[in-house]
Amino acid sequence: MQRKVQIEEADAYELLSYLVSSADTCTHEPHYYGTFRLLDAASRLIGSMLRDPQFVGDVWLAAFKLELDDNKLRMMTNRDRYLASIPQATHAVAEEVKRREADWSAQDHAERRGNGP
Amino acid sequence: MTGMRDSAPESDPVLQNDVLRAIWTRRVVRDFTEQPVSDEQLRVVLESARWAPRAGNRRINRLLVIRDPDTIRRLRMVSPGILGRPLLLVVILTDLGVAEKEQVQVTKDVNLWIDVGTLAATMMLAAHALGLGTCPATSFSRTGVSTMLDLPARIVPQLILQLGNPARRRDIDVAQLPQRVLSEDFVFWEQVDTPTRSTE
Repeated sequence: MQRKVQIEEADAYELLSYLVSSADTCTHEPHYYGTFRLLDAASRLIGSMLRDPQFVGDVWLAAFKLELDDNKLRMMTNRDRYLASIPQATHAVAEEVKRREADWSAQDHAERRGNGP
Repeated sequence: MTGMRDSAPESDPVLQNDVLRAIWTRRVVRDFTEQPVSDEQLRVVLESARWAPRAGNRRINRLLVIRDPDTIRRLRMVSPGILGRPLLLVVILTDLGVAEKEQVQVTKDVNLWIDVGTLAATMMLAAHALGLGTCPATSFSRTGVSTMLDLPARIVPQLILQLGNPARRRDIDVAQLPQRVLSEDFVFWEQVDTPTRSTE
């Protein structure tokens, strides 16, 4: 069954501020810096989720965050490998989304579809 | 401190010189321990900043020391380039009022930027000599930082220097690092596009 993610208001504002500030810095930094900011934002979001008691011990989230944090700094030392890691990360998220959706009840899934954008 | 890909071997006589050793072994540090930078260490770093080269011996830059945890937290929110959780920041600021008095043409004079760089580099080396780690950050929203710090319009933030006691580094997988960058890779001799050093 799906869980409602709860993050601290301070965490939400921190992420909000980070994203908007990154938009600002992206106007004058190398284009590939934008990928770093987005991956870092993803890592921060996961960090906030892991502070929710419901998600403590979530093996996949913790492992994926670790992988994001390891790979993102390669932007400065091994850019080819860093760029190659991005579609890999996308693939990993997509697979996890499919796996989780399969775990949710059919009722939750249909209800979410009905209320979705 | 063992270096990364381009360290000189410990036996290199250059490393016997303290100044050169500091230059050759300094690395950017992004992860810090909870141990604060002492007042004495900070004093030495700030006093070292006095001796940084600056164009025309003009002093149009200022330093703002931040230790307050809430202020640091707010600055991190608008500074995507601050990846770790430093306990101390030194913000290098340009005072446009002083620049105007010194007749510095801020939109054209590159010395303004060079001075920021030499100031940061001097403090980074001084900190490294004291066993501290540093990381310079220019990836921040100037508007965001100015707002968070309530800076007057004449004061422009240029660089945020993070200082602290370095956290223990994880083992570096040397095989994953790019090849060593040697001076031959970026030095020309006598003429551009002439990489080979002329024989004497």
